[in-house]
Amino acid sequence: MKKVIIQLEKVSYSTNNETLVSGTKKPTDILHDISIKIYNKEILGICGESGGGKTTLIKLLAGIIKPTKGDMKVDHKISFIKNRPSRTQILFQNNSDLLNPNRKVKALVDEAIKLSGTKKEKFEKEKEKLYDMLCITTVLDNRRGKELSGGERQRIALARLLAVKPKVLILDEPFSAQDVISQLNLLKVLKRINIELEITIICISHDLNMLKKLVHRLIVLQNGKIVESADTSKIFKSPKHPYTKFLLSAEDFSLSENDIHSYNSGNSSNDLNKSKG
Amino acid sequence: MLKVNIENITISNSADNYLLLHDISFETNYGKVYTILGRNGAGKSTLIKSLTNLLDENIFSIKGNVYFEGKELIRCSENVMQSIRESSIRYVFQDAVNSFDPLKTFKYYFNNSSADKINIDELLNYFLLPQYDEIAKLYPYEISGGMAQRLSIIFALLAEPELLILDEPTSGIDYTILNLLLFKLIQFTKEEKKTVLLVTQDIKFAEKVSDEISFLSNGTLLPFKPKDEFFKQTDGVVLQSFIKSFSELS
Repeated sequence: MKKVIIQLEKVSYSTNNETLVSGTKKPTDILHDISIKIYNKEILGICGESGGGKTTLIKLLAGIIKPTKGDMKVDHKISFIKNRPSRTQILFQNNSDLLNPNRKVKALVDEAIKLSGTKKEKFEKEKEKLYDMLCITTVLDNRRGKELSGGERQRIALARLLAVKPKVLILDEPFSAQDVISQLNLLKVLKRINIELEITIICISHDLNMLKKLVHRLIVLQNGKIVESADTSKIFKSPKHPYTKFLLSAEDFSLSENDIHSYNSGNSSNDLNKSKG
Repeated sequence: MLKVNIENITISNSADNYLLLHDISFETNYGKVYTILGRNGAGKSTLIKSLTNLLDENIFSIKGNVYFEGKELIRCSENVMQSIRESSIRYVFQDAVNSFDPLKTFKYYFNNSSADKINIDELLNYFLLPQYDEIAKLYPYEISGGMAQRLSIIFALLAEPELLILDEPTSGIDYTILNLLLFKLIQFTKEEKKTVLLVTQDIKFAEKVSDEISFLSNGTLLPFKPKDEFFKQTDGVVLQSFIKSFSELS
């Protein structure tokens, strides 16, 4: 039987944000009644549009924020602190802030390997293994963070995360702002990480096509609720929820202007609050 | 309308005059969407910024000519350039949030366009944004990246330019909005007979929206071709692996 490593039971998360427009306080439900089981060594995808609650959900799973309602169990124990810090690592969206722009790659990676408590004699071997896994050449060692391309920066950041040997790796929109060649390389690297290092991967993306290539199981989030959850192949073959069908047609560019506006009518006034969430 | 003949663009403050782009020539006509594809870092953004002298003169030097409706842009006066950028050639940059002044609310940008409130609300509504009254009060840092991108597109469209230049419009935007952008760009070129120049690495969007496609690699630009012909090309290693990766992913 597959082992459950993280479990959310009827979890909700809301904020009491002051809205900047009206200056009044009103509670905003960002996640509502979420129940998920995450199995050891699986690759789980979470999709949905911006403002749907994807990022809040991974923050919960990583233990950065606490649920306002419901329980999160890590290894079957109700836990919050236990899920931090080295057990779960998050790779944030690829931008120039991912690495210190003024430090050299060598210093950045070496620091992470040292933090993991790797012994001196195993240091070089460990580093070689990481570089090989992530297709990083030693040529990059003397470059600084700001001198790297987006794809290179992302792989160095991944090397730092993997150096501390996490059990769970969370990826926030890893494929955005990358060209197809880099996307294909990243896809291969992530599959290797999952199989060879036996790391559980949770990947959020609004790109269903990339998720289809990567994940075993898919969760569809709409306005903070799970509307569909099943094996990836099943969802793509026969999507059940209208929102899943809507997302799939949007990605094929097979929607009409009318389809989109009638689907979103009534939602647009909420858009402002959603996107701030 | 636009005739580009760039011999080369170099980084002039480095000791060895590092060559970035060379032998770039193309022409655009009214009523079409032109797309320049290319890998990250190929120089796509540098190329489109060079067209209206947006590159920092202290760093880049351009050799060549760019004609817009017969007017030479590279050596024209700053005043002329300013008025062309205001009304005829509009850009939507990749980093939309940072293309707004953080100390001004969006009211300032709406006031700058001569469009009336009905037109503005119609466009806001089209791109699934709240109405004018709500948006006008906000500062750029109060909105998400996706909203800033949409607003940036709206301000460009409200100026009714002859040429709309978009830099990676698909990054950070949901497919729903991309569908809407697709329809808008087709309407803009086919009904209003205006021109769109787009740079992106999103082949899927390029395939849907473009009339003609070109590819930038190794510092130079392949000739524009009608999109069906473009995907049948067999020359060029980078282009080949680009198209191959795309078909592997789709």
